[in-house]
Amino acid sequence: MTPDRGDVVYGSLGLLVLTTLHAIGPMHGYRLARRIEQISGNQLALNQGTLYPALLKLEQMAWVSAKWGQSDTGRRVKIYSLTRSGRKELARAEAQWQRSAGIIARFFKLSGHTA
Amino acid sequence: MSRSERELDDEVEAHLAEAVDDHVARGLSPQEARYAALRDFGGVTQVKQVHREMRSCTFMNWLDFKLGGRMLVRYPGLTVVGGLAMAFAILVGIVIFQFAALFLYPSLPLPNGDRIVQLNLHDLVENETEKRALHDFLSWRDSLRTIDNLGAWRDDIRTLIVAEGDARPAYVAEMSSSGFTAVQGQPLIGRVLTPEDEQPAAPAVAVIGYELWRTRFGSDPNVLGRTVQLGADHSTIVGVMREGFAFPVSHEMWVPLKIAGVDQAPRSGPAITIFGTLAEGETFETAQAELTTHGRRAAVEQKPTHERLEPRVVRYADMMAMNGGQDAVFMLLIYSFIGMLVVLMCGNVGLLLFARAASRESDLIVRTALGAGRGRIVAQLFAEALVLGGLAALVGLAGAALVLRNWAMTFLEINLGRLPFWWDLSLSPASIAAAIVLTVLAATVAGVIPALKITRGMSDRLKQTTAGSGGLRFGGVWTVVIVAQVAVTVVFPAIVWFENVQLGRMQDYNPGFPTDQFLAVSVERDAPVDNDGTTDAAAVEQNARMAATLGELRTRIAAQPGVAGVTFVETLPGGESPERRIEMGYDAAEAGRRNPDAAAPIRWATVVETETNYFELVDAPLLAGRGFTAADAEPGANVVIVDQAFVDNVLLGRNPIGQQLRLVRPGNPAGPSDWYSVVGLVGKLDSGVPYRKGPFAGFYLPSTPERFDNVHMLIRVRSGDPMTVAPQVREIAAGVDPSLRLVQIQRANELAAGMLWVIRLWMSITLAMSSVALLLSLAGLYAVMAFTVSRRTREIGVRVALGGSRRRIIAAIFRRPLIQMGIGVLAGIAFIAFMTFMYPSTEGPGAGQAEGLTLRAIAMQAGYAALMFGVCMLACVVPTRRALNIEPTTALRTE
Repeated sequence: MTPDRGDVVYGSLGLLVLTTLHAIGPMHGYRLARRIEQISGNQLALNQGTLYPALLKLEQMAWVSAKWGQSDTGRRVKIYSLTRSGRKELARAEAQWQRSAGIIARFFKLSGHTA
Repeated sequence: MSRSERELDDEVEAHLAEAVDDHVARGLSPQEARYAALRDFGGVTQVKQVHREMRSCTFMNWLDFKLGGRMLVRYPGLTVVGGLAMAFAILVGIVIFQFAALFLYPSLPLPNGDRIVQLNLHDLVENETEKRALHDFLSWRDSLRTIDNLGAWRDDIRTLIVAEGDARPAYVAEMSSSGFTAVQGQPLIGRVLTPEDEQPAAPAVAVIGYELWRTRFGSDPNVLGRTVQLGADHSTIVGVMREGFAFPVSHEMWVPLKIAGVDQAPRSGPAITIFGTLAEGETFETAQAELTTHGRRAAVEQKPTHERLEPRVVRYADMMAMNGGQDAVFMLLIYSFIGMLVVLMCGNVGLLLFARAASRESDLIVRTALGAGRGRIVAQLFAEALVLGGLAALVGLAGAALVLRNWAMTFLEINLGRLPFWWDLSLSPASIAAAIVLTVLAATVAGVIPALKITRGMSDRLKQTTAGSGGLRFGGVWTVVIVAQVAVTVVFPAIVWFENVQLGRMQDYNPGFPTDQFLAVSVERDAPVDNDGTTDAAAVEQNARMAATLGELRTRIAAQPGVAGVTFVETLPGGESPERRIEMGYDAAEAGRRNPDAAAPIRWATVVETETNYFELVDAPLLAGRGFTAADAEPGANVVIVDQAFVDNVLLGRNPIGQQLRLVRPGNPAGPSDWYSVVGLVGKLDSGVPYRKGPFAGFYLPSTPERFDNVHMLIRVRSGDPMTVAPQVREIAAGVDPSLRLVQIQRANELAAGMLWVIRLWMSITLAMSSVALLLSLAGLYAVMAFTVSRRTREIGVRVALGGSRRRIIAAIFRRPLIQMGIGVLAGIAFIAFMTFMYPSTEGPGAGQAEGLTLRAIAMQAGYAALMFGVCMLACVVPTRRALNIEPTTALRTE
């Protein structure tokens, strides 16, 4: 059976970007999009273009910084990296996510479903 | 295309190219790879559009400013009041800034002006500049390597006699010829001074300034070669300088500095100022280093004179600057003052903007619901304030330019005399930069503070979904602002009133004689070239010469057909005669009778030194005793004449004739003066200070003019305008002694004109400030009222619907502004009362008397406070009417 290719959960793209940058380090937009798809086991159907407004938003919040550099193929690309406040935000968001996920999991347990 | 747009294009293109590479590597054809990459990306155009929109949302965007502009039109009252207040704050700020820059950071408007320097000899013990530096000047001129064009000048006001009957003082600089090269001064015609002119045997020559050439020589093109009399000397004019040249300070004529015959011993000779230009490639530091080496050597070689002297090099323009132009603390104080002023004024504008924003609360709540963050809304309100501030800054700058051009220079001239040529008060780029900073500050105070306040807890109000149902309220800050505003509104007119009282006193000032028949002349004499170390014998001889000169001057002027008489006085009527502490002969006896240890009571009187013919000339009626005789002016005669005010205020009605008085002179090692006998009494002859409350007790000491500190001549004419004899007086003075200078020739009834001008200026300034304060108070109160009514529309509607009494509804609305106004008015009155008691006239016969705090003044204040109260109430009328006309059904619908 082929896995369902789901959409990115609303509002969580930013979190995915921060996590990926945190885990792998600075990279450019295309590489970032591919990494997110690969890490999700190709289960996420990412419209790669939507990454750019998300990146801009993260930049405006000063959670990521961007500067021009070179890709492996020698192209001039914009390379994004996590900032210090981005790291803090990631820690905060992760804690919150775990808490919410935990609460929801309890409800599923109550109704007899298992995740 | 903007940079960010270009960068986005590049980034998207790079993304697609990377994706194409990947797909090609997986075996797709280039064309298929391109399609796949585009498909994975999603709509390129849409992504760019979203990106663009997000970018424009960063902080502020063009739309915010457009909205700000629209707000100006939609709320014209606020635009005018708030804009005026901000403009006024910026205007005052810029004017103060310009003045501060003039005193603290002056610069020479000359080519290489910042490389022109002044060399000082600083006395480390006395902490002052040793001006007798001729010896050092000569030594520096021969040896200094870091400074070029080294020269010196000395200041002189001399009588310039152009033709018979045309003798007027001219500001002359005796200057080294290098002065012209240092500042690259070019002649309009003829030549400048040369080193040859400085030789002792060289013929006396002079260069004149453009203004002097225009006014005194009628722009005569053949002026070169003309010989003029300059004091006692004659000089041939060899050049006319171009317009605007006034180096070294504000001079209009230049003669060579001849130092050959002058005392050149160390710390001796005339006072001079030394200047030069930094040599090519040298800096202040290298010049100072060289000079310091010199100074150290001199301190060893000429120990007695130079041990505590330190040569210093300073910027030339700092000559007239305060604290050498380096006082950062003072500048900081001034900047803080300007900042405070702007913050205070704009705090009030902030109140108005807060009320406006509050009326748009629902609009702002909707924006929050649509995802605008607090920062966005604050930015929007800041942009609106910035638009208002920008407009205000334009008005403020225009106003400042007008003020600086029309009044500021005149103000400085009246207070300081001739101004150095580098003082320029036209708007500088620095002032425009300052205006921009002030505008941003103003917009921050007026825009951001209210915005922060209104957006606090916005999301909670969003949940309530009922704008106008409370939550948002006027806090303590605004209450303080309004109260302070009302207080200021009360205080300012009181200041205007006090100024007006002073003005009235000056206008009504009556010295007790027909001043319109008198010409007042201030007489000075050129200082001898080298008057240092003058012996007593020389002083006596000088005095005798002066006595002879003034005597002849008097005789010859009195002989003129139109002149009725001449007298010399030490202070002109209305010229602030000195007040002295005196003791009466009977004081000790009376004090002893009350309490043997008691000190004599403190008494004050103005002292006027006059010639013995003074009373006759001014027609002062002698009420008792005798007038002065010629013998009374002799030293040791020790007699005085008192005026009626003296009898009233000091003698308390005693018979003055034969009373003894003396000057107490505390702090004077010689102790009190000799006792003087009162020999006469004159009627009202006011010698007091015109703007203070009079009449002052005064007494007159007979003397002779050569003993006066300042010599003034009063000339009485037989008829007509006294000014008509002025040319004859000048001519006679030049004939008697060319070194005599008639510094000021004025009608005696116009002596206070300058002072009057200054007081009138202050009055206009205070009036303008009062108007702005009043306007802001009214607008502030109106805003609070309007705000309250709109907040309580629903409540009022319900009350009206339920038949609540109108009076109680009005009382409920009025309570808050009434309390604020009441506190404000009381605070203002308390402040005035405090000032009146704190600063009564502390000296003189009226000491301790609270100036102006008469029953009439109190009544006027109370009346004024009532008026203010009424006017403030007017601001509340419109909102109240609006409240009472609310239809209950409408009110209940207001959500």
